[in-house]
Amino acid sequence: MTESDLHLDVDLDAELDPEDLVDGPPVADVGEPVLVVDDLHIVYRVFGGKAKQVAAAGNENVREAKAPKRSFVKRLLSSTSQHVGAVSEVHAVRGVSFVAHHGESIGIVGINGSGKSTLLRAITGLIPPHQGAVYAAGEPALLGVNAALMPQLTGERNIWIGGLALGLTPKQVEERFDDVVDFADIGDFVYMPMKTYSSGMGARLRFAISSAATPDILMIDEALATGDAAFKARSKARIDEVRKDAGTIFLVSHSISTIDAMCTRVLWLHQGQLVMDGPTDEVLAQYKKFVRAHREAQTSGRAGGVAPRARQKPSRTGR
Amino acid sequence: MTTDTTTGAASGDRGTPGGAGNDPLRPPEPIVPTTSSSELRAVAAQHGLQQMGVRPPLRAYIKDVVSRWAFIRVLGTATAYSKNQNNYLGQLWAVLNPVLNAVTYILIFGFLLNTNRGVENVIAFIVIGTFLFRFVEQSVHGGARSIAQKSNLIRSLHFPRAVLPIAQVVSLLATLVPSLVVMCAIVLLSGLSPRYPTVYVTWQWLLLPCLVALLWLFNTGLAFMVARAVAITPDLDNIISFVLRLVMYGSGVIFPVTHYVSNLSDGVQAVVGPILEYQPVAVFLYLGRSTLTQEPNIPPDPMMWAWAAGWAVVVFVVGFIVFWRGEERYGRD
Repeated sequence: MTESDLHLDVDLDAELDPEDLVDGPPVADVGEPVLVVDDLHIVYRVFGGKAKQVAAAGNENVREAKAPKRSFVKRLLSSTSQHVGAVSEVHAVRGVSFVAHHGESIGIVGINGSGKSTLLRAITGLIPPHQGAVYAAGEPALLGVNAALMPQLTGERNIWIGGLALGLTPKQVEERFDDVVDFADIGDFVYMPMKTYSSGMGARLRFAISSAATPDILMIDEALATGDAAFKARSKARIDEVRKDAGTIFLVSHSISTIDAMCTRVLWLHQGQLVMDGPTDEVLAQYKKFVRAHREAQTSGRAGGVAPRARQKPSRTGR
Repeated sequence: MTTDTTTGAASGDRGTPGGAGNDPLRPPEPIVPTTSSSELRAVAAQHGLQQMGVRPPLRAYIKDVVSRWAFIRVLGTATAYSKNQNNYLGQLWAVLNPVLNAVTYILIFGFLLNTNRGVENVIAFIVIGTFLFRFVEQSVHGGARSIAQKSNLIRSLHFPRAVLPIAQVVSLLATLVPSLVVMCAIVLLSGLSPRYPTVYVTWQWLLLPCLVALLWLFNTGLAFMVARAVAITPDLDNIISFVLRLVMYGSGVIFPVTHYVSNLSDGVQAVVGPILEYQPVAVFLYLGRSTLTQEPNIPPDPMMWAWAAGWAVVVFVVGFIVFWRGEERYGRD
């Protein structure tokens, strides 16, 4: 059961109360389409994975990268295939289509491993699609704490690298440098290598760097989940600020209350597929029901349908 | 055939999207898009949306890379600095490393084997060879790893990926410049030894920056090519060091390889001779030696400069295009 719990790490309880928002639940002022996602498929190539075992166990997201035709060489290698040519493909997003409009705040929900972060990166253009296409107005930017920079370098160098990589000019980086340091609240640690930072400091700095530029379409990946309460409040304020300037935002979060408070539309992803797309309250009501049912099923000892299928015994899945 | 329990088992009892059906444990059925791909494409075209994650046209790509010059410079110098910061002598190693590398070859090939093979100043010959070849060698290695090493950066930020191999070579150039000063010093000092003829500083030494610039262009082109090859087939990274070792002995880095060509039969000599003489690495080493020393066997030769310029431009342009053509594939895994 503990394994299944990992996959249902959803925060049903309040992290941000809707009342925290000064202007109440957001209302969509829907304009022109700014982002079109057309039958998007994302396939990762994973080296060193045990594709055969995972695929045999019935996880349809994972398959062997090579054709099933067994050549002579393949048979020769089959006894060592775990070690030689252990390449598998993970089909993380499977055929997602939707249109986002100017002024919408779109939340993406789904249990762990449902492809939320991958989808977000793909629509930002960071992961090339395997099939399908993403069309966007302007350049979407990903805001998050996962923007791993160079840990062996000082915070100062990282601010420069991050800022320039975001497309700022050297002058803009210089102007915003102090703001970033203040916001991240790391003081003189900015002149120390980032690998010496505590995890909270590192996350704060990464968030501060990635929010230094204001894009047309903003993607936020779990950014609200880091740091202490004070930083959470500050990062929320920053997101609100960026949100006012950005036309459209996408938010991935495990906190349902955060999504409830910030989004006008919700996409529910399950195993890489879009299972619901609609107004926040409608989708979240269904999603909450789904998550609660799983919680109960788990506590009463019933492994649900979304338990990690890779670990299920083949006898139970072979229908 | 194994089926997915969540979607495969109970597809009959739920048709309406959003309806949890009888079993709240199952998510709704995946939405079947009501608009077709062509309709979506039309919407995108109508509102002037651009496709993401595709390779931009070459001209726009070049412009984008050029506009990121500040990024390249900062990333390059920062990488160069971080390489030597985890020890007591720090940045001094940027110079000490190539010196120790040269000393190893001088001890073995210059003194132990003591065969000068028609070269008057063995120390100058080996030092110039190893210092310049090290730049090529490290550019290829750096280029090979430039994509994989920065996969985190690639997955979180938008920028033309050509920035990475360029920055990698820039970082090597940053460490090369101080070590070239040391190289020139060693060449001059070797001339003071009674065993070797004196080395004079001539006006030709002014050509050294031109040589470095051409070599830089050439190395960047090489880095582009290996970066794409290794990003797509990571196994190639293992082969690179063997290829480089072959190139090292084949280009006369530590002893003049053309010296041995005369031992071959005439037919083979006609083919192998020009290849060994005019292949790019040999050309660059020839120019390095002809500008800095007064070896009678290596006279200054304008033809060699033409060869070097040609190689540099061709390799750079071809490398850039090869890299650009794979742009949309970097970062998929």
